Amino acid sequence: MDSAMEDEASQRETLFYDALQISDPAEREEFLEQSCPSGSPLRAAVDAMLAAHDQADAFLVGSDPAMKPPAGLDESTSACSYTDASIGSWIGLYKLVQWLGEGGGGVVYMAEQEEPVQRQVALKIIKLGMDTRRVIARFEAERQVLALMNHPNIAHVLDAGATETGRPFFVMELVHGVRITDYCELNHVPLRQRLELFQQVCLAIQHAHQKGVIHRDIKPSNILITIRDGIPVPKIIDFGIAKATTGRLSERTIYASAEQVIGTPAYMSPEQMQGSGLDVDTRSDIYSLGVVLYELLASRPPFDNLALLRLGMDEMRRTIVAREPLRPSARVEALLRDRARETGRHAPAPEIPAARLRGDLDSIVMKALEKDRSRRYETANGLAIDIRRYLADEPISARPPSRLYQFRKLVRRNKVIFLAAAAVTAALVLGLGTSTWLFFKERESRRQAELGRANEMLLREQAEQREKIAKAVVLVEQNQLDEADRVIGEIPSASIAMVGEAVFRPLADWAASAGRYKRAAEYLSMLVQVDQYETSAVSTVDHTECAVALMELGDIAAYKRFCLRSVRQFESTKDPLSAERTIKNTLLLPADEHLLAALAPMAEVAAKSFPPAPGDRSWIWPYRCLSLALLEYRRGNYSAAIDWGKCGLGYIAQPPPCIAAIHVVLAMAYQGIGQTDNAREELSKSREMIDSKFKGGLYTGRHADGLWFDWLLARILEREAIADIEGEHRLLK
Amino acid sequence: MTSPKHKEAENLLVGMYDDLRRLATTRIAHEKQAQTLQATALVHEAWLRLTAKGDQTWQSRGHFFGAASEAMRRILIDNARRKARVKHGGDQERVNSQEMNFLAETTPEEKVLLIDEGLKKLEVSNPERAKVVLLKFFGGLTNKEVGESLGMSERSVDRHWACAKAWLLQWMNGADSNEA
Repeated sequence: MDSAMEDEASQRETLFYDALQISDPAEREEFLEQSCPSGSPLRAAVDAMLAAHDQADAFLVGSDPAMKPPAGLDESTSACSYTDASIGSWIGLYKLVQWLGEGGGGVVYMAEQEEPVQRQVALKIIKLGMDTRRVIARFEAERQVLALMNHPNIAHVLDAGATETGRPFFVMELVHGVRITDYCELNHVPLRQRLELFQQVCLAIQHAHQKGVIHRDIKPSNILITIRDGIPVPKIIDFGIAKATTGRLSERTIYASAEQVIGTPAYMSPEQMQGSGLDVDTRSDIYSLGVVLYELLASRPPFDNLALLRLGMDEMRRTIVAREPLRPSARVEALLRDRARETGRHAPAPEIPAARLRGDLDSIVMKALEKDRSRRYETANGLAIDIRRYLADEPISARPPSRLYQFRKLVRRNKVIFLAAAAVTAALVLGLGTSTWLFFKERESRRQAELGRANEMLLREQAEQREKIAKAVVLVEQNQLDEADRVIGEIPSASIAMVGEAVFRPLADWAASAGRYKRAAEYLSMLVQVDQYETSAVSTVDHTECAVALMELGDIAAYKRFCLRSVRQFESTKDPLSAERTIKNTLLLPADEHLLAALAPMAEVAAKSFPPAPGDRSWIWPYRCLSLALLEYRRGNYSAAIDWGKCGLGYIAQPPPCIAAIHVVLAMAYQGIGQTDNAREELSKSREMIDSKFKGGLYTGRHADGLWFDWLLARILEREAIADIEGEHRLLK
Repeated sequence: MTSPKHKEAENLLVGMYDDLRRLATTRIAHEKQAQTLQATALVHEAWLRLTAKGDQTWQSRGHFFGAASEAMRRILIDNARRKARVKHGGDQERVNSQEMNFLAETTPEEKVLLIDEGLKKLEVSNPERAKVVLLKFFGGLTNKEVGESLGMSERSVDRHWACAKAWLLQWMNGADSNEA
C-alpha cells in the first residue's frame, strides 16, 4: 500500500468514525454533508462503511454480544470486573453483602444501596439462559403498574438491570421471613390461624389484581412470614418478576437448564403448564393460591413436586392439566395410612386432622383448583370471603347442590363469551395464516424463528388485552364502574369482543342510568356483537336495550343497521319470546315492506303461542300483545292492532311500562282509523303513566315497576304518537 | 498440569485461570442460541490448549490474553465446524455472500466461521486491527483490556473495532476490498 492510498484510507476511516459518534441521524447527515458532499467517491465509501457497520451490529448479535456491553453499564466503570457475583462486589448501585438463597430462577443476595437512599435490599440475579434485554424491557413495561401497588403484604420490586455478564437482576424490598408453609409446620400453627394468614395473602393478591398485576408465580417460597410486633405478617415477594422472566415456558424448556422449569411445577396452573405461558390471567393466580392453601391444610401440595419431576415434562403437563388431585382430607388420610405402613419414612405427619378438612374446606380448595379456570373463584377476594364465611360458620359459596348442575349452568352461562372468544381466536389464527403464507411465498428461506417472534408479539398483545379485561371484570364486580369504564376504553376495538357480557351489561346499565346514552349505546352495540352467536332469548333483552339507547341518542342510521342485524339473527327462530322481542325492538320507527316481510314468520311464531292457560299471571302475555299490536299498526292493519292492544290490557299481569306502551299503540291505531277522541283518551292514559314515571326518576323505582329500557321504549313510541295526533313535530331531535 | 517450580508461578497460574474463566463466561454468556459450549468447558479446553506445550511462559498479561483469545478462537471454530457438519450432513453449505439477506439466515456457527475467515484476511492486510478483533470477538475482552494488552488508547481500540466491523460486513457482502 503506498502512502497516498494509506492517507486516503485513513481519511475515510476518520470521517466514518467521527460520523459514527453522532447518533442523531439529521446531525450526522449534516456533518457528512459539510465534510464530504454527497456524490463524491469519498462520501459513497463512508456511507457504505456506515451501512455495513449498522448491519454488523445486527449480524453479531447471537454470535458475539461480548462486544456489546449490557445496557447501562459503561465499560470504563466496570474495570473491577467479576464473573460470578461475589460478596463485596458491586452490581450497579448495589453492593452485595450476603448470600440469601438460590431458587429455581436465580440467586438472591442481601445488598446495600448507598444512593439515593441508604438501605438494605434483596437482589436477585436471574440465571443464564434468558434474553436479558427482553427481560428488562418487559420489566420496564410493567414498572409503572408495579408502582401502583401499595399494600403492606406486598414487597416492592424497586429496580431492575443487567449485570456485567449480561444477566438480568431485580432489586426488591428486603424481607426477613420464612415460607408460609414452613412457618406453619414448624410452629404447629392451628387451623384457624393458618386460614387467617392465608386470607391476608388472598387480599394482597386481590389488591394486585385490582391494579392489573398478575403474580404468575405464587408459591410458598414467594409468600414469606415475618414477625412484626410479635404478630406473623405475610409478605408476598417477586411481583412482576415472573412476568418479565417467564414469558415463554417453551423457550425456557428448550434453552434453560431443566432446573429453571423445575422450580415450581407443583404450583403452576394447568393453563400455565399447557400453553405458551402467555394465556394467563388473574385466575391462574387463584389456582396457585389454591395449591398453597392445599399445602397449608394437608401439609403437601396436591401433586408432589419431586414425583412430578420424575414423570418427565409431558407426563407432568398431563398430570397438572388433567388429573384431579385428592381432596385435602383424603390426602391427609392417605398420608397417615402410608406412614402407618412404613414407619421407617420420616416425612412430617400432617398437622390438621382429616375430619376438620372434610366438607367446606375441601370444597373451597377444590374450587380454587378447578382445571377449567372459569369454574374457579372469580377473584382472590371471593376465595378470601369463602374462608371468612367458613371461619364464621356461614355457608360457603363453593358448595353447590350438585356439581353437574353447576357445570351445566356454567356452560350455559358462558356459552356466549366462549363463542365470542372462539371467534376472535379464529380471526387471529386466520390472520396469522394469511401472513404466514405471504411470508413464505415472499421469502422461502426465512427462518421459522422470526415467524415465532411475530406470533409471540401478537400473543403478548392479546395477553395484555386479556389482562385489562380481567381487570375490568374485577372492577365491575366491585362496582367501581367509573374505573372499569376507563380500563375498557384502553382496549383496542379488535379485542373488545373478548370482554364479554359480564362486563358490558352492568356498564351499559351504569351509563344509561347516568343518562349517558352514547356510552350506553356503545356498550350495548358491543354487547349485541358478543351476542350474535346467541340465538336464544337470553340476548334479546340486550337488543331491546341497544335499540332503545340508539333511538334515545337519535342515531337513526345506527338504529337501522341494528334492526337489520337483529332480524337476520333471529329470522328463523322458533322461540316466541325471541320473536316477540325482535318484532318490538325493530319497529320503533315506521318500517318498510322488507322489514315487515322479514318479521312475518316471527309474528306467526309469537301469535301461535296464544292463548295462555286461564289464570296465567305471567308478564309475557301483555308484552307479546304489545309487540303484535305494534306490528299490525306498522302494517297499517289498525283494527287488528286495536284487537291485540285490548287483548294485552286484559291479563292479570299489568307491567306498567308495557301497559303504557299499549295505550300509545292503541292511540296511534285509533288515530289511523279516524277515531280521534279514542286516540286522545288512550294518549292521555299513557302520558299520565309515563310522565309520572320520568318525573319520579327512571331508576328509583322497584323492579316490579319496570326497567329503564322498557320505560324508554314506551316514551319513544309516545313521542311518535304525540307528533302524529297533536300534529307536533318533535319526534326526533 | 505441569507442576510449577515456584509458588509465585502457581499464583500466577491461578490468576490466569481466573482471567480465562471470566473471558470464557463473557464470551459464552450471551450466546443464547449457540449455547453448545459451557463456559467451564471452554475454560478447561482453552487452558489445556494453552498449557499443552508444557513450559509455556507469558511475558505479560497482554500476552496471555492474546494466547487465550487465540485458544478460544480455535475452540469456537472447531465447535462451529463440528456443528455445521452435523447440521448439513457432512456437506457444508456455503453461505451465499452475494445475497444481502444472508445475515438473517446465518447460523451462529456460520457466523463464527465467517468472522474467522475474515479475520485471516485482516491479519494479512492490517495485523494490528486483526489483533483487536481477535481479543474483542474471540477473547471477549473489554476495550480497556484490549488497550492495555496492545498498548493503545481505548479510543483507538474503539476506532479499530468500528472500522473492522464495517470492513468485515463489506467483505461478507462481497465487496472485495483488501484495504482495511
